[in-house]
Formats: sequence, C-alpha cells, structure tokens
Amino acid sequence: MKKIFLFLCCAPLLARDLYITRSGAVSFYSHAPMEDIVAVNKQASCMLDLETGSLAFQVPIRGFIFPNALMQEHFNENYLESHQFPKATFKGNIDHWLELKIGPDPQDVAVTGTLTIHGVSREISESGTLARAGGGINGLATFEVAPADYDIRIPKIVRNNIARKIQVTVNVKLQQK
Amino acid sequence: MIRLFLFLFFSVIKIFSQDELLDLLNEEPIEPLPVQATFKATRIVNSQSVELPRSKMLEFMVQHRFGTVENGFYDLFGLDEAAVHYDLKYGLHERLAFGLGRSSWQKTYDVMIKAKLIRQTEGQGKTFPITVVIFSNMGINALRKDAIVKDNFANRIRYLQQLIVGRKFNESVSLQVVPTWSHKNLVPAHEDEHDLFSAVLGGRIMVTRRFSINADISFPLGDRPDSFKNGWGLGCDIETGGHVFQLLLTNARGGYEGAYIEDASGSLSTGEIFLGFNITRVFSI
Repeated sequence: MKKIFLFLCCAPLLARDLYITRSGAVSFYSHAPMEDIVAVNKQASCMLDLETGSLAFQVPIRGFIFPNALMQEHFNENYLESHQFPKATFKGNIDHWLELKIGPDPQDVAVTGTLTIHGVSREISESGTLARAGGGINGLATFEVAPADYDIRIPKIVRNNIARKIQVTVNVKLQQK
Repeated sequence: MIRLFLFLFFSVIKIFSQDELLDLLNEEPIEPLPVQATFKATRIVNSQSVELPRSKMLEFMVQHRFGTVENGFYDLFGLDEAAVHYDLKYGLHERLAFGLGRSSWQKTYDVMIKAKLIRQTEGQGKTFPITVVIFSNMGINALRKDAIVKDNFANRIRYLQQLIVGRKFNESVSLQVVPTWSHKNLVPAHEDEHDLFSAVLGGRIMVTRRFSINADISFPLGDRPDSFKNGWGLGCDIETGGHVFQLLLTNARGGYEGAYIEDASGSLSTGEIFLGFNITRVFSI
C-alpha cells in the first residue's frame, strides 16, 4: 500500500511530458507616426507540459537586439530598466487542454495566464497555434502589449516615436526534454 | 481512500505546475553582460568618458563655451562671445571608434581614436568591476605663419594620451579616473616642459532616468608654473532620445582636446568662469 502510494506520488513527476527550448524567438514591432521600431530576441526559454497544458516563458530583456545600438541601450536603461527587471516571464495554461489534439496541422489554442514585464504582472488571455513537427512542437502567437499597462513610461517628447500598443510575436520550436 | 489521495495530489500538482515550470526555466542563470550607459555622453563635462560612439553610428558633437561671466549684463554673462569645438566620431565596432574635430581656439584640427580594452560586466557568475578605455588625440595647429619660430609642420602638433578607468557603481553613481600624458612638440618658452602628466577625476549622479549631474576636475602630476589653475567643470546631462544636451559651468575655455587640463584660465574667486553647453546628436548610418 505504502509503495503504491509513493509510486503514485512520484509518477506524475517522472512521467511528465515536458517540451522545452532555450532559443525561442520573441520579436516586437512598434508602429508610430515618426518611426517603426523592430527588435528581435532569440534567447527566449519556453517549457510546455503536455500532461497538463501548463506553459511557461522566460525572456531576458538584454537579449533584444535593435538595429540601432543607442535605441537598444535606451530600451534597457530608460524603458524596461533591465538592471532591475532582467527578465520578462509568462506562466499559464492552454485552455481546454484535455479536449485538444495537437497534430501536424497548426491547431488554434487559447492561452490564459500571468505576463510579467518590468516587474508588473497582469492576467492575459491570448490565442496562438501549436503543431507537431519532427518530433517536437512548434508554437506561434502574435498579440499586443501596451507599455502603459506595465508601468513603462514614455515621455511626451518621444510619444510620436513609440507606439501605444506594441505588437509582440512569439515563435518557439520545442523539443522533448 | 486512494482515490481521494490521488485527487488531492493531482489537484495540488495542477495548481503549482505553472510556477514549477517557470522555476525550471529560471534555473539557467543570465550570463554576465557588459554594463550599459556608465555615462550618457562621450564626455562628462570637458573630459572624455568611458563611453564610445555606439557601433555603426555617427556622432556629431558641439562643445560651445561662452565668454567669461564676470562682465555681467554688458556682454550678457559672456553670451556675446563664443569658443567652439566640433567633432564627428564614428563607431567602427562596439569597442573601437575614431573621429575628427576642429576648434576655433588656435584653429586646431584634431584626430582621435578611442578603444575599449576591458568592459565592466554585471550579472550572475564571474563579473569584472571596471571599464578601461584608451583615448589618443593628435591636434594640429592651423594658425597662419608666425615669424618668430621656424614653421615646421612638426612644431604645430600636440598629443594627448589617456587611460580612462571607470566604474558604474550603481544605476545612479559612476566615477572614473584618467591618467593623462600630454606632449607638445613646441613649447612657448625654453623652460616649459614638452611632456606633462596629470590625472583627471570625473563622475555623475543620476537624478532621474534622463537627467544627471556631472563634474570633472584635473590635477597635475609634477610641477607647474604658479599661474597654473586646475581645470574643472560642473554640469548636467539632459537626454532626449537621439540627443544629449549638457549644460555646464567651467573655468576652462575649451579649445583643443585637453585644453581643460593644462590651459584652464579662470577661477571662481575672480568670477572668470564660463557658461557653455555640449550637444551630442547621433545618426545611424
């Protein structure tokens, strides 16, 4: 009885179907009257638990590469304050996970959870797609983030250079851990 | 009974699993990275800072010094007069930049190279505490022929070599010390030294994310004539995206690179100090 109980306790941990990447791509696009700004980060980590549909992301802020070095510095120093908040994170669940079947064709999924940027956590619900590909799982999502929601202050003088809503694109290729 | 345990167990797992996943991701530490923005501009007030023009970016800087403030409203605290230095610098690489400049004082052209030898790093693991930069400047005096001395081209040249050692202590405070060697091919009098050594101290305190108070002062190493004054500058940085404005007060009228070290003329007691500003504008090309 005791043994069975212990086994049952450990089983969920041992048998977990974890999929992971350490080199996911997260990019953002800001469209404003004065200029368009694009930055790409290829150091995003992501983990998906196939048993439960739980999902987590971790994105190092210093990993965002801008075409303009000064802009990149200001992004870290003045806006995201990466010395104080070095990572953005997301933790959440894929909705209705048990009813979903992930096949080779992209499957629309809805994700609900907590997005933390610049030390501010907010509940979000966004949609994306998942598809099996070559033994792994590919995930794709595009959504909008408003800097003001995360206490990222944009001074008046650059209001026309930075969009009120930033379009974020996430592209991960997960492999079984 | 077992079912109840299982149910409880799985429900617990489900609640904590998101955090668990994030913890698993968090196990990978962020590698040490070079610190950013020890100073906002490539100069503190008068002196060079550990910052280089950013990689693949052209930086245009105007150093403008008005006349002395001592005449008051007669020349509007010196605003009627001006001494200027312009330069254009380009970041070849994140650790190497070069530039060309011109100052109205003694009609001096200058060329400079700035290279970052060591970068201060921050993060988890092995970090390095200081940034070390070498700065090398050659100035060429382009005044019309002077009959008194033989007009060799070599006589028109002066050099300034600096080793800039700086540290960003925290988000607010950065300090640097700059051992300096200046060499003049031609000196005004026989007893004047061709080679002079000095140390320049500089620092800043950030007040807001886009505003800081800066100061620098130089100290001679070795003997100087009695009339020598330590050059100093006190100013503030105002950063607005692609510009940095630096408003300042100094006892050195500017001019060629390093004039603030050896040729400061004013002092607070006589009121011979100068208002001025530096403007930095960057272009990405």
